[in-house]
Amino acid sequence: MKVAFFPGCTAQADQIGYEASVRAIMPKLGVELAEMEGAACCGYPPYSSVSEAAWFYSSARDMAIAEGMGLPLFTLCNGCHLSFTETKHALAKDSVLKAKINEKLTREGLHYEGKAELLHVFELLHDKLGKEKIAAAVIKPLTGFRFGAHPGCHSIRPSSLGRPDDSENPHKLDDLINWTGAQAVEYPGKVDCCGSSLASVSGKTVMEIAGDKLKTVKGLALDGLVTTCPFCFKVYDNRQRAIAAAVGDRTLEVPVFYYTQLLGLAMGIGQERLGLELNQSPVDPVLARIGGA
Amino acid sequence: MNAEVCDQCGKCPSACPVTARIEGFNPRQIIAKVSLGKEEELMKSGVIWTCTSCLKCRERCPEEISPYDVILELRREAISEGFEHPASYDEAEKAVTETGVVQQPQPVRTRSRDRKDRVALGLPPAQKPKDQAKYTQAIKELKEAAD
Amino acid sequence: MKPVLVIGGGIAGIQASLDLADRGTKVHLVERTPSIGGVMAQLDKTFPTMDCSICILAPKMIECYRHLNITIHTQSEVVGLEGVVGDFNVKILEHPRSVDSAKCTGCGLCSEKCPVKKPSDFQAGLGQRKAIYLAFPQAVPLLATIDREACLWFTKGICKTCEKVCPAKAVDYEQKENTVELNVSSVIAATGFEQYNPKDIGEYGYGRYKNVLTALEFERLVCASGPTGGLLNRPSDGKVSHNIAFIQCVGSRTQTTGYPYCSASCCMYATKEAVLIKEHEPSSHVTIFYMDLRTFGKGFQGFVDRAQSYWGVKYIRGRPGEIREDPSTKDLTILYENTEIGKVEKMEVDLVVLCTAAIPHRENRKLGGVLGVELDEFGFFADKNMLTAPVESSKPGIYVCGSCHGPRDIPESVAEASATAAKAAEDAARAEVKQ
Repeated sequence: MKVAFFPGCTAQADQIGYEASVRAIMPKLGVELAEMEGAACCGYPPYSSVSEAAWFYSSARDMAIAEGMGLPLFTLCNGCHLSFTETKHALAKDSVLKAKINEKLTREGLHYEGKAELLHVFELLHDKLGKEKIAAAVIKPLTGFRFGAHPGCHSIRPSSLGRPDDSENPHKLDDLINWTGAQAVEYPGKVDCCGSSLASVSGKTVMEIAGDKLKTVKGLALDGLVTTCPFCFKVYDNRQRAIAAAVGDRTLEVPVFYYTQLLGLAMGIGQERLGLELNQSPVDPVLARIGGA
Repeated sequence: MNAEVCDQCGKCPSACPVTARIEGFNPRQIIAKVSLGKEEELMKSGVIWTCTSCLKCRERCPEEISPYDVILELRREAISEGFEHPASYDEAEKAVTETGVVQQPQPVRTRSRDRKDRVALGLPPAQKPKDQAKYTQAIKELKEAAD
Repeated sequence: MKPVLVIGGGIAGIQASLDLADRGTKVHLVERTPSIGGVMAQLDKTFPTMDCSICILAPKMIECYRHLNITIHTQSEVVGLEGVVGDFNVKILEHPRSVDSAKCTGCGLCSEKCPVKKPSDFQAGLGQRKAIYLAFPQAVPLLATIDREACLWFTKGICKTCEKVCPAKAVDYEQKENTVELNVSSVIAATGFEQYNPKDIGEYGYGRYKNVLTALEFERLVCASGPTGGLLNRPSDGKVSHNIAFIQCVGSRTQTTGYPYCSASCCMYATKEAVLIKEHEPSSHVTIFYMDLRTFGKGFQGFVDRAQSYWGVKYIRGRPGEIREDPSTKDLTILYENTEIGKVEKMEVDLVVLCTAAIPHRENRKLGGVLGVELDEFGFFADKNMLTAPVESSKPGIYVCGSCHGPRDIPESVAEASATAAKAAEDAARAEVKQ
């Protein structure tokens, strides 16, 4: 299948390991990633607290590009996916704003009708490809590894708009982990937030919020935390040392992976193609056990 | 905002990650204040900037009120009326309006203290508007129209 | 005199039947399940009197059974109704219980030996019954019934153990359904309600966390005739639970579930269940998480006051946002805000009881169609006029009482039952005069 590839600002700016892992695995899974020329920010971080019109314009614009390509809009970021979903719902109800937005989009040769299918990364893997295709691609099953899935708030809430997974008992990322041969383990607080939106306002609170989940995962002696959102990963992985300091536990060490990195390893793809050198959390022991360079 | 139908049940602050940690932030109390017409007090207090948008309140409210959406509306009003707000919002807004992205791609640190960028990872150039001026113009017009 | 048809053998239907029968009017009492009794038979005690529920219900059930003016049809449904008040032609379909009612003595040997186990409706799914079973110890009529969908003979053509062991030779696999046609002067619908299944309120973990129960399940747990003999052994590990929390308004007063109304009896029955726990073990910690305390009936406020002051039941005003389960102990943590002091807190408990909404019975739509009466926007039977004709349906001659037309407690259901009996008696008398 072919999709319009939208990494989103955060993935393409500094979570490039995530983007690399997605580009490495998709062709082998039969998914062609078409570049979205001219795509820009989904608009949620800069505009949702400033101007709804500007926010919906940005999201509608990206959806219009995908519509123009006649392809589903494939997102890597939970926040982007929710932003597109919110915009779709809002503009379906507000024809005046939709017309205003289209008036501006025409200047760039774009038109928004809300027809583009939205596909988040784990949705594509779980629902479109499914167990058989994923299992068939796995040549180095991650047997013996126990991971905690972190679906992330925006991929499961609010259920009133329809999200890729269930809001209180999400299972798709768990299924995907199981399909690599590893074992996804339930843990309390699975649907909790990483706190990243507070980063610019109260860094300390973000650390405490994220620290709770890392402590739970550590307490259950899991081999790592797995996510599909660049914001969540940035907090749990990139900021793990700061989290450990903030919660007063210097021994707090939890390997954090993007799911696509784990799947890539299970598919026998080399570590360097999966951006694993960019994970800041202590992933080396896990990588050593998986073996292979 | 339908804040008036809130019966102050207390579900929204129960699992709110911020209420548990930041003194003065409580979505139930925010809704109470809105239904009593105290929006200005809320916008002045700065409390509306500490929501982490986890959406648990929106998901679980039995009356289908979303304290999160009420907070976003208050933020938009606060910014448009010139109340004090975190600088990061202005910075993000400026960056995207002028360049189409929140931040430019940059070299990223590896675990071994090396640095890698998009080119080093074999990634194509980052996506951005072909005609930035048109994007910027549209954003400005839409913002002004709303004001 | 023409008989009256009473549909539903719970306390409301039983009361209406007895009122009519005692004044000489014949009654046909139709009950869908194998025994009359309804939900009241499943309760341990009743508020505010703390009477043993079955102890006050069973004598009425027996009276119905023995009354010369009452004919009970169990395992039956009303499948047709035509005509007008004073002259309704009704069709009752009696489903076969596969047991000869003239021979069965209710000894229960068949059930003892039956190899097939199924979740017991009477035990709210917490316990099991067999494919051939007696509904509960005080069932009226006290007859065995075969659940043909579970029975090995009916599904696979094997077994027949019950027939072999029955000392009265009462098992009759060939028994057929039977249609009864009646001409009645009026109809009383007393078909009761259902409990909302809280699995869709995912934040409470019902269905995932073993130690989260509904109130009816808890009622069976605490009742001496329940699956644990009345011991508070929680589902996950049988540990006796001394630290229990109740959560009110689960499904009720909620837009998102479609049940925005108040379910009327939960504040009181939660208090009742809390007091039962304290009676079992006074050192127990019992907490009720509520939004309001709706204690409007006679004796209700005093009941709650005593629960607090004498028994030490704690009441916290706050609807919990989430329940978490410890993966190893299966203990539960409740995340809530004590809204009276504005503090967010956590409470660890052994067991959580969800007081779920009283919702319209799923059969209402079908029965409403058969009777030709309107349902309200939620699916309860509609009242002709909420204020001035609250026990009349939209069709003259068809009356509604008890929880089939809205959440009700026992005193209200009984009062309404007597009200409908009075109305039905009037219709019966008029029909008599016409003849």
